[in-house]
Amino acid sequence: MIATLLSLLLRAVVVLAGTAVLTFALLWNAPGDPAQAIAMARFDALLTEDVIDQVREEVGLNANFWGAFVDWVGPLLVLDFGNSAVTGRPVWPDLWVSITYTFPLALAGLAIGLVISLPLAILATQHPGRLLDRFAVAIASLGTAIPAFWLGLLLILLFAVQLDWLPAMGARTPAHAILPALTLGLGVAASLTRIIRSGILEARGQQFLPALSRRGVSPKAIGRDHVAPHAAVPVVTVVGLELAFLLEGLVVVEVIFGRPGLGTFLTSAILDRDFPHVQAVVVLTALVFVSVNLIVDVIYRQIDPRIGERDA
Amino acid sequence: MTLRVSGLSAMRSGRTILHPTSLTIEPRARIGLVGTSGSGKSTLGHALIDDLRAQGHSVAHVPQSPDEALDPLRSMAFHWREAEWALGLQPGSADQKTLFTALKIAGGDLRKRPWGWSRGMQQRFVIAMALIGSPDLIVLDEPTSALDPVVAAATMDLLDRHLEGRATAMMLITHDLGLAARRVSTLMVMQEGRIVEQAPTAEILERPKTRASKSLTAHRNWMALPC
Repeated sequence: MIATLLSLLLRAVVVLAGTAVLTFALLWNAPGDPAQAIAMARFDALLTEDVIDQVREEVGLNANFWGAFVDWVGPLLVLDFGNSAVTGRPVWPDLWVSITYTFPLALAGLAIGLVISLPLAILATQHPGRLLDRFAVAIASLGTAIPAFWLGLLLILLFAVQLDWLPAMGARTPAHAILPALTLGLGVAASLTRIIRSGILEARGQQFLPALSRRGVSPKAIGRDHVAPHAAVPVVTVVGLELAFLLEGLVVVEVIFGRPGLGTFLTSAILDRDFPHVQAVVVLTALVFVSVNLIVDVIYRQIDPRIGERDA
Repeated sequence: MTLRVSGLSAMRSGRTILHPTSLTIEPRARIGLVGTSGSGKSTLGHALIDDLRAQGHSVAHVPQSPDEALDPLRSMAFHWREAEWALGLQPGSADQKTLFTALKIAGGDLRKRPWGWSRGMQQRFVIAMALIGSPDLIVLDEPTSALDPVVAAATMDLLDRHLEGRATAMMLITHDLGLAARRVSTLMVMQEGRIVEQAPTAEILERPKTRASKSLTAHRNWMALPC
């Protein structure tokens, strides 16, 4: 088990190192003059070449690629994301504020998705092919097809504009999080319902189940002890990925609902060419992806150790 | 206790795959259910088990392959506890040691999942589970087809020895007449969902009456098989 964990950790480190190099290279080679964009963001006026050169020197854009990379990645190893190229303030405090808005919203979205999809999929699979099952599949397909930005606008129109039940924009009170969390959660519920449903149906088709019934094992025990673990393997994988992809969906949702968070942090950083901010978000997202994958790997190796055997 | 069922039948996709069938099975009986593939042997076996269980009899089932009996995600110990629980026994009350010794799997690590054991050991474990609580009937559906001939013969010997002196009846479902000839005293020959002939094993082997049994006994090389 320890050897497996070490190998998974090593894999995670390789992925993170690759992400760091790629992110840095992409931004380094981005079209346009980043020094000019940063100077524009800082001074908000037409600028002279001298000022732009000064900014270039100050934020290290004069250095060669590897020199600049090492200057950036070295402090990163101790979670020092550097200073903003625009404001000059340390990145971490601002990033942390964004995280405190975004991560709870992502978790709330995932929780809503699970609360809807799990009972719906279990109910649907009671009688596969019947009305309820078809209804669940249709709703799930529809939910997957609706983009988050459109669903978000529909929810604002209904609950904020027409009914005036919930606030539409901002993040002042917990009520402000309901519509964004619903937007995310409904999307998650749609894709999870399909995965959980097919996971359960596939698990119910396992060839050893009839023998268990003939052995006298109760249907309840078969469902709990045999169908659920088999259905859990694909579900655990997808729940993990959903959590990671939620961060991506949040960019859109935060912009629609005018909420502070990683999404708005990232979009303004891109517009200002604030490299340290962009790099921090990308590294953080990669860290979340890799950590979630690591946890998923460990969990489904616990459920089905054959996965580990095959990898070995 | 004599086991009786009547009017067993089964349909699939609107087609009758088991015509109404009645059976009487005496304690200690050794019955072979033979026939070509698709003749309805396993269907009759399943219908028989379901009917007898509904009557309150204790019936054990050993499927063709251990893959059809064991969950690859659950340990052998879990399967054992579950089998005891299903029979209403307290965990640990079945005479596991005697059964495992008789079936020569006492060295198996019960913490492992099925795939941590050899296929031969898995199948003998399934047979051991089937023998928990001394059932009224044990139905073995092609129990040795997943095993190599030597392990198959040894497993059947071990089972025979274990059942000696017990009231448990045995039904052996097989298309392998060589296996049936050595292990059972009565043969039932199935064809197209019906039992078309039933007689002592020696009689069917020497003087088959129906086309199905004549066809089964036509190939005399079954005597050379190790089972």
